[in-house]
Amino acid sequence: MAEVLSALSKKLVSGHYGPAGDAGIRLSGRRLRGLWQLAGWANFETAAASALEALGLSTIGTFQSAQATQIACAWRIAPDKLLVESAHDLGAFNSQDLAVLNLSHAREAIILSGPAARDLLSQLIAIDVSPAAFRRGAFLQTGIHHVGVLIHCVEETDFEILVPTTWAESGWEVLLENALPFGLEVHSNA
Amino acid sequence: MIRINCPVCGLRNETEFTYGADATVNRPALDEQETGPWLDYVFNRDNPRGWHKEYWHHVQGCRQWLVLERNTLTHEIRGCRLAREAGE
Repeated sequence: MAEVLSALSKKLVSGHYGPAGDAGIRLSGRRLRGLWQLAGWANFETAAASALEALGLSTIGTFQSAQATQIACAWRIAPDKLLVESAHDLGAFNSQDLAVLNLSHAREAIILSGPAARDLLSQLIAIDVSPAAFRRGAFLQTGIHHVGVLIHCVEETDFEILVPTTWAESGWEVLLENALPFGLEVHSNA
Repeated sequence: MIRINCPVCGLRNETEFTYGADATVNRPALDEQETGPWLDYVFNRDNPRGWHKEYWHHVQGCRQWLVLERNTLTHEIRGCRLAREAGE
């Protein structure tokens, strides 16, 4: 398989931007271990059972809550669709009842963190992202600047944003420009 | 403003969705020979003042098709289901 390259390699320039002082926002990128979409039909959970077992997952999970194991992170993005980050090659689980698609080249992970990370998100999306409403382990599918993204709350002030690779640079620019007033630190890698 | 309670994503702003079509229209049987039912199916739509069933697409979210019951007068929404389940 071709090596997965970062679409943000030209954007990830380490440094402090915006007002001097403590940065309210930190932005960086992360190379995905491998991203797979598992999709099926009415018997999706049964069809996905062996793939789930290999990933250490017992169920397809619930909407809006991520499942994490030592080797995978899974997001139930639709009734019969699961997005899975894993370094394991899931292609072997492809069958008539389960469509397995390698999306490793199709998404880029932007890491947003810092004490003002939720303030920044609330400027960009019309969803309640307060700590009570958007808890650790939860995820949202929404649009930032009209680009469909998945936002995963990894920790209280740490978020990962999966952006389509072809829109990664413009997504990054929207985040960066909105982050500047809070004081911004960019790290070339997470 | 319309807020739609997507069964997958939860309560979201209308801006994440696009309107699809009238969800009350049923396709005639494929062996229907009369032109009237096909004319109604393809072209003729009611324009109700009040409750109406509509297809909406959560295009900036889970990308599922939904069936809403929306009041065209007040924009009140009293039901939202996945389109795949609406016919069950």
